[in-house]
Amino acid sequence: MREFHDYNPVAVALYYLGVTGITMFTMNPVILGISLFASVLNYTLYAKGGIKPHLFSAVLFCVLALLNPLLNHNGATVLFYLNDRPITAEATVYGVCAAGMVTASLYWLRSFSKAMTSDKLLYLFGRLSPKLSLILSMSIRYVELLRVRWRKIQQTQKALGLYDDGNLIDALRGRARVLSILITWALENGIITAESMDARGYGSGRRTSFAMYKIRVSDGILMLLCAVLAAGAIIGVHAAEVSYYPTIHLQLTAPWSIAGYIGFAVLAGLPVMINTKEAIRWHYLISAG
Amino acid sequence: MALFDIRGLSFRYPDSDKNALDSLDFSIEQGEFVTLIGATGSGKSTLLRLLKPELAQNGEKSGEILFCSKPLQELKTKESAAKIGFVAQSPEEQIVTDKVWHELAFTLENLGARQADIARSVAETAAYFGIAPWYRQATATLSGGQKQLLNLASVMTAEPQVLILDEPTAQLDPIAAARFIDTLYKLNRETGVTVIISEHRAEELIPLSDRLMILDGGRLIADGSPREIAAQMKSDSSYLSYLPCAARIFASAGGAGECPLSIREGQRFFREHYIGQGVIPTKKPSEDRESALEVKDVYFRYEKDAPDVLAGLSLTVRQGEIFALLGANGCGKSTTAAVLSGLSKPYAGKVKLFGKALKEYKNGSLYRENLSLLPQDIESVFLRASVREELRGCETVLQKLPFDLTALMDRHPYDLSGGERQIVALCKALRTNPRVLILDEPSKGLDPVSKKQLADVLLRLKSEGMTVLMVSHDVEFGALCADRCALFFDGVLAACDTTADFMNGNRYNTTAASRITRGVCRNAYTGALAAEALKGGAAT
Repeated sequence: MREFHDYNPVAVALYYLGVTGITMFTMNPVILGISLFASVLNYTLYAKGGIKPHLFSAVLFCVLALLNPLLNHNGATVLFYLNDRPITAEATVYGVCAAGMVTASLYWLRSFSKAMTSDKLLYLFGRLSPKLSLILSMSIRYVELLRVRWRKIQQTQKALGLYDDGNLIDALRGRARVLSILITWALENGIITAESMDARGYGSGRRTSFAMYKIRVSDGILMLLCAVLAAGAIIGVHAAEVSYYPTIHLQLTAPWSIAGYIGFAVLAGLPVMINTKEAIRWHYLISAG
Repeated sequence: MALFDIRGLSFRYPDSDKNALDSLDFSIEQGEFVTLIGATGSGKSTLLRLLKPELAQNGEKSGEILFCSKPLQELKTKESAAKIGFVAQSPEEQIVTDKVWHELAFTLENLGARQADIARSVAETAAYFGIAPWYRQATATLSGGQKQLLNLASVMTAEPQVLILDEPTAQLDPIAAARFIDTLYKLNRETGVTVIISEHRAEELIPLSDRLMILDGGRLIADGSPREIAAQMKSDSSYLSYLPCAARIFASAGGAGECPLSIREGQRFFREHYIGQGVIPTKKPSEDRESALEVKDVYFRYEKDAPDVLAGLSLTVRQGEIFALLGANGCGKSTTAAVLSGLSKPYAGKVKLFGKALKEYKNGSLYRENLSLLPQDIESVFLRASVREELRGCETVLQKLPFDLTALMDRHPYDLSGGERQIVALCKALRTNPRVLILDEPSKGLDPVSKKQLADVLLRLKSEGMTVLMVSHDVEFGALCADRCALFFDGVLAACDTTADFMNGNRYNTTAASRITRGVCRNAYTGALAAEALKGGAAT
């Protein structure tokens, strides 16, 4: 079963870059609405983080939507006065759209970070520079090693009775000592790692970068499709007229715009559609078999 | 044509007035399996590193090393990286990248190999070494044995002509080590790769070796087949402890004929020569001693949904005894040590120290004058830049030790050998005058001589009233000093007995001597006891 996230990381990364980019650079309410809906759906399909991230997003959305009319008093239509400051309809609508834009972008980026495991990121960077990719890979490994090590040293010192937590100064001193030995340890063991790299020919000439991912025809098709849809969406955005101040002026229904919205809706819903298609196909394969 | 030709090789470190290697002359043929043994500081590592140009240390070198008839230093970097593989001791630090597949590809990436070649070699190697099931895992999730296997596999991807290994199994438990050595042997037989290995683990390795070389103070004092060398040991026993148990029994009992090396050969030898009663009398340790550490129905798990690591563990350590908790790596022994020392809290059950629950020891009084834990990663004990600073306040402890540490006082703790480190750490643990000492894998990475030394120190402490609980995979070390042994499996004790009964009762988790004498003589569970039984068999 080839889910959307199993496509080549280049295609997946470009996809997320595309939808996030379009979302971030437009204030077109239709596009933003589609984007928000699709991004939440997309994230919910992969994330297993429970309700927390959604809660955070809802709060963020409300705060952003309320903040704009409170701080920004532009706009012709005054709804009411708060502390002698006008609260305008234009600023309120703008606030809701901006909040939608930020929230949708956030959801896209969340999905992106779920999709891009360290392996895939390294593959992307490896295509740019084999050295950079190696440094990243080593850093990922070292952060984890140091964390484990820090805990071990602390436990050891505690069990040897040499580490007093009762007194703040003593505790701080103890921690400083643990940190210093952690660094010594890292340097000491860094030598072993460096030797292991030397012994295996690191620096003996030009490196290549081995990758687990291949670019298949379907990746090409996906990228092409995304490019066409994204281009359509951008043209659609340009064909529409959107301005919020001094009065709201929306000219959203030009034929090109309608086409653009459809294009963007397909683009934004692509991962969900691909996964649903695969799920159905899988279901029938099982039933048939 | 020899693979390595070493002619008059001497080496001296910059600040030393003694040669680390002294006029060595030998050659190693393609396809040989050579085991290098010697005490810590005998020059084994120095020699092995000189054979791998990237790792050769700075110093004054004379003499020649020829690799395939050409001077080694004329080898191009790429060639030496590919043709001479090197695996060092530490499984963890040799790994460079965060994913197993990336680590496997690392060597070939460095050599600039084509994508298709890397893919083929990585796939083949992963399959051959049985790495496929964890091919996509993060390297941090692997066990020590898997890590070391990965290090070996990663070197093998470049198809080296020779593999040089510097104590590769010192950090592994016996089962992982045996698997590693088997893989090495299989590689040697099936691909013809030359193997040069330095190792203390004689039992598995020496019967497989074509050739044994003994280094002493930088000189080659013996070089020949294992049987020839074992036969020489009858007159000079200084290196006897480095040989397999069968050969030790043979040599110290003054055996005649062909020297046995493997367990099976040892059994035959023992059966044919033993004329005693079939049992060595043992003393039962007194049962009426009060308990020091009492564990009752303890359950522990790391996370809510994780499986139990301790599942109803119960055990009692009596005052003034050495208790060994034995088991394979990864079965939860270190967790047990952490729970028993109060570092991890069990979710059910009781741990009592001298009749008082651990949590009733307030304000860190548990770790002052009551209990001390020495962890497996001994480096985490050291916080200072010299042994002297490290051992400040330990003067009374130092006086009681059976040997002198003055020579080490100004060294950095990280520069000590494994055995020295263990002793210094032990001193530090004794500073708080604990009544109970918990040791996690104390014999890890030690050569046979240091092991014996450590066992003597523990016995000495015991005679002064110390209670010792050690958690270990090293059955042989347990046999050297423990009063009682227990087998830890699946979260509980599967067996718990006096050392003699424990060794008699177990079939696999027992000492080599016990396996050799099985069915012929009871209670001969160490090489010394078995040799004794052979010599004076009729008398008792």
